[in-house]
Amino acid sequence: MSTLLPQADRADVPPAAHLLAVEDLTVEFRTRRGVVHAVNGVDFHLDERETLAILGESGSGKSVTAQAIMGILDTPPGFITRGAIRYRGTDVLTLREEDRRKVRGQKIAMIFQDALSALNPVFSVGWQLGEMARVHRGASRSEAKRAAIELMERVRIPNAAQRVGAYPHEFSGGMRQRIMIAMALALNPDILIADEPTTALDVTVQAQIMQLLAGLQDETGMGLILITHDLGVVADVADRIAVMYAGKIVENARVHDIYARPAHPYSEGLLASIPRVDQRGGKLEAIRGAPPSLIDLPPGCSFHPRCDYRRDNCTRDVPPLYEVSADRGSACHYWQEVLGAQ
Amino acid sequence: MPSDLNREPRTPGEPLLRVEHLVKHFPLTQGIIFKRTIGAVQAVDDVSFELRRGETLGLVGESGCGKTTTAKTLLRLEEPTSGAAYFNGQDIFRLSRGELRTARRKIQIIFQDPYASLNPRMTIGDIITEAWEIHPDVVPRAERSDRARDLLERVGLPGESLNRYPHQFSGGQRQRVGIARALTLNPDLIICDEPVSALDVSVQAQVINLLEEIQDEFGIAYIFVAHDLSVVRHISDRVAVMYLGRIVEIGDEDDIYEKATHPYTQALLSAVPVPNPEGREHRTRIMLEGDLPNPADPPSGCRFRTRCFKAQEKCAEEDPALIDRSGHGHPSACHFPEVLLSVGS
Repeated sequence: MSTLLPQADRADVPPAAHLLAVEDLTVEFRTRRGVVHAVNGVDFHLDERETLAILGESGSGKSVTAQAIMGILDTPPGFITRGAIRYRGTDVLTLREEDRRKVRGQKIAMIFQDALSALNPVFSVGWQLGEMARVHRGASRSEAKRAAIELMERVRIPNAAQRVGAYPHEFSGGMRQRIMIAMALALNPDILIADEPTTALDVTVQAQIMQLLAGLQDETGMGLILITHDLGVVADVADRIAVMYAGKIVENARVHDIYARPAHPYSEGLLASIPRVDQRGGKLEAIRGAPPSLIDLPPGCSFHPRCDYRRDNCTRDVPPLYEVSADRGSACHYWQEVLGAQ
Repeated sequence: MPSDLNREPRTPGEPLLRVEHLVKHFPLTQGIIFKRTIGAVQAVDDVSFELRRGETLGLVGESGCGKTTTAKTLLRLEEPTSGAAYFNGQDIFRLSRGELRTARRKIQIIFQDPYASLNPRMTIGDIITEAWEIHPDVVPRAERSDRARDLLERVGLPGESLNRYPHQFSGGQRQRVGIARALTLNPDLIICDEPVSALDVSVQAQVINLLEEIQDEFGIAYIFVAHDLSVVRHISDRVAVMYLGRIVEIGDEDDIYEKATHPYTQALLSAVPVPNPEGREHRTRIMLEGDLPNPADPPSGCRFRTRCFKAQEKCAEEDPALIDRSGHGHPSACHFPEVLLSVGS
């Protein structure tokens, strides 16, 4: 029958097997209004060439998880109170500051939703792209400029040589996101974390950016963590998916499995509630209520106030991540019923 | 343009709203003291459409296409440069201030951002009843708080919410307040400007369902402005696709989503990710090259030709009218309209 995934599994698989392994990651924000439990014991791993989607709504903890991995959490108020973040087996949280920075700066890179505010408006994009080469490799100005042009060509910005001296505001939203991607690739990272990379973009531009990311991943073999709320984008590109709700992974699975047969009521509810471009509308099956406050999480399963499968013990017992099958878990006491419902 | 659009309106059985040749240009000026006009951003350029009672028209397109400006001119939140909009028999664009006030009762708007569109210093009750202060004949003073309570309950909020403030509500609940406010004056038309795009996925469906229920119950027409083509397909009876200030294709939901003939509509639809990974390797996608042209200096001929995969010489020379050229049953502003069967999934 169901066994608990996290601890049981870890003993026999050496963590070094994974490019990135996040274990029991717990992050809280200590605010005046109380402690915000943003991430509550998250486990996942990522291998080379793999695309892992972390899907969740605002406040689910998906972006905070990414910030914790990148080491860009605002501390205070944010603190990692438990857990490990292993890059090729080494827990970066236990490293000395200097070594930690080497891993995070060079091996793990991140792009954000808002490319305009991530770029410095008073320097040309060429200067900002060349900065990587100057700072990390001690390149001269002309070498740095050449490196910048190469990077711009890699992300397919037309007329790179002419546009290298242009400033961020002179580029469109899609082109700015390409510049962010170029910057992230400058040091040839093994892992790219993309936090809602296309949310601010129009749909035709989104398609261009996702195609670019897929192409670059093929080229370099990097692992990609895609943080998003968009079930469409996930279905398009992800190999595996981790669904987050109230700071926990409630279901993780291969992408084909979860779309065909979700094993957690929240995943099931999300899939039923979205209108689809390939289907005509009927009534949408909305999930009732709203996500809980992270200061005052409901006892037991955090999803129970909105759940149709709820029984008495759901309000009491926190569900562990039950093993549904190899490489698949669901944090629902009644996951078999959810699976059986489809 | 078909000439019948120019005839004078006002017969029963008329559409609720008829927009004719709507143009909105924003002047570009230079100089601080002596301002000179050096050009104009052609935000909306010759847009015409009709809306029947109780119907939902989806207005889609990417940022900068003019969909929000079109919607705002209908409330005269932006003054149009030229054109006409006949609503219940009157040209909204030619009303005096006083007449406009009366006409606006029947046209309401719901905004995208439920955080910015409710005054944080007013209670929910004040927000709902404010319109009745301006239009006192709609609901007698003594009945107002009961009516406000009823409206709140109708949109799924507890009646006690009357005495609370916007910050005490979540995004989805605030959008419900926005909907209740839009209903206070019994409108015939509600303009919904991206009403669910700021909401979480799990809450979006609740608000979409509520909008549909209210439409069925009160027979209100919607102009639904959105960039999310999935949401628009779900809620719309008819859809107009805009590009660079023009409608490039308009038709029934089915015409646009199953039988689109304009290359831009086809590219737009093929770019929408389908939430189903099965067969994703075989999905075809039309990738558009380049960026949106400068709306102050649109391309000659067809505005889409600079990014179109079908563009020919004719497209640069001749501006394609929005007509049904090929008997597909709905108008498309393309010289070479054809249905692409492989688009989407």
